[in-house]
Amino acid sequence: MSAISLLVCDDSAMARKQLIRALPVDWAVTITQACNGREGLAAIRQGLGQVVLLDLTMPELDGYQVLAALREEGLAAKVIVVSGDVQDEAVARVKALGALEFIKKPADPELLLAALKRHQLLEPSPQAVERSAELAAFKVGFRDAFRELSNVAMGRAAALLARVLGVFVQLPVPAVNIFEVGELHMALSDIEHGERLSAICQGYIGDRISGEALLIFHDCEVADMARLLKRTLNGRPAELELMIDLASLLIGACVAALGEQLDSNFSVGHPQMLGQHASLERLISANKTRWRKTLAVEISYALEGHAIHFDLLLLFTEDSVPRLQQKINYLLD
Amino acid sequence: MDIELHWLLDILQHIDVGVVVLDRQYQVSLWNGFMANHSGLDADEAVDKNLFELFPELDQEWFRAKVESVATLEVRAFTIWEQRPYLLRFKGYQPITGQADFMYQNATFLPVKGRSGQVSHVALIIYDVTHEALHKQPAAGAQ
Repeated sequence: MSAISLLVCDDSAMARKQLIRALPVDWAVTITQACNGREGLAAIRQGLGQVVLLDLTMPELDGYQVLAALREEGLAAKVIVVSGDVQDEAVARVKALGALEFIKKPADPELLLAALKRHQLLEPSPQAVERSAELAAFKVGFRDAFRELSNVAMGRAAALLARVLGVFVQLPVPAVNIFEVGELHMALSDIEHGERLSAICQGYIGDRISGEALLIFHDCEVADMARLLKRTLNGRPAELELMIDLASLLIGACVAALGEQLDSNFSVGHPQMLGQHASLERLISANKTRWRKTLAVEISYALEGHAIHFDLLLLFTEDSVPRLQQKINYLLD
Repeated sequence: MDIELHWLLDILQHIDVGVVVLDRQYQVSLWNGFMANHSGLDADEAVDKNLFELFPELDQEWFRAKVESVATLEVRAFTIWEQRPYLLRFKGYQPITGQADFMYQNATFLPVKGRSGQVSHVALIIYDVTHEALHKQPAAGAQ
């Protein structure tokens, strides 16, 4: 018998490992891995992807572009999308592009099994398939793993934002870096573009992990946001309330989703206004004497069809990193 | 369990204020989420332990005097950050962009009566007043 060829296409090694581990143990498949849409499409063209588990948020070609290319080229891959982008509109779009199923990350093995059964893709082999060597071969770095956790968290937050604003949120691949605290504003200069900014900050702490989430608004876009929310901005208090509401939503959802994945409960502090109508350097005057380095996650949300974007920064203290590493190792074992 | 009681416990766990209940031997009887998250000690690591063993840097003599007077006089006692910046040294909520190295705290000591009507426990309520402290300090220094 010739085994089904399965392609696992995701830019995160951690996500690929989690997916391969979630496969039914008696499903005899030959597995190919791809770390972006372009590689994935090439593998499918070579016949290595009768069944495809496809991520959406990827560099090079994203999942939507892969689906569109499959349709254009008439390639008959059976695609199950496995993504952290859980907006209703994302699900509708991939289904319209021909995906058979949508499974939210991290993939629940039961749901994956049910989806494979529904589309008659399971060809059980008489004995369990040994995948331990394949799984042991994974070398998942800390940044890769943390990017994947952030990816799921930002997707959760985006789904709420999409619902509240009635828009589609374009999700980037989150950037995970360790910066010198003193250089933070320089490292983040992409955000500024010489514009005036306002930022809301909310601290979180729990399970020996702590940090601050900063939501950065471009002042020129606040009025457009108010229009989407059908609010009138008469004066500073209304402007502030809008920013606090959006920050609580995005930061709350993001921190809760991170905590859920790490099995940690975080306390979240009251929002603070870091500054209004200021430069990034003035907004983020970091405490350089206390910390040398910070682990920073940068997520840039853009609203499709509107010239609006927000930057969400999660800044973890240096002493949170060993604990995060420990938690991630536990997740990967 | 009554649904209202369930609510109260859930709120007590998640409220952004520290709540600790100590018995008369200074053993921890209750340790809410704020205490766990800011101290790094989970409830199962803190409950039934002696507070002075958990926080050796706490001034025992001073603390005992405070608690004993609350228990015997059956009145509340307070500490404010100007007098004592913190009761227990905790990390604050703005570790990166904030200027404080620790959480400034106000604290309330409450007598808690048992069924017999005698004070059987003392509750500590810890408030994070870092923001207030940082914004008041320069003005005080300027005088």
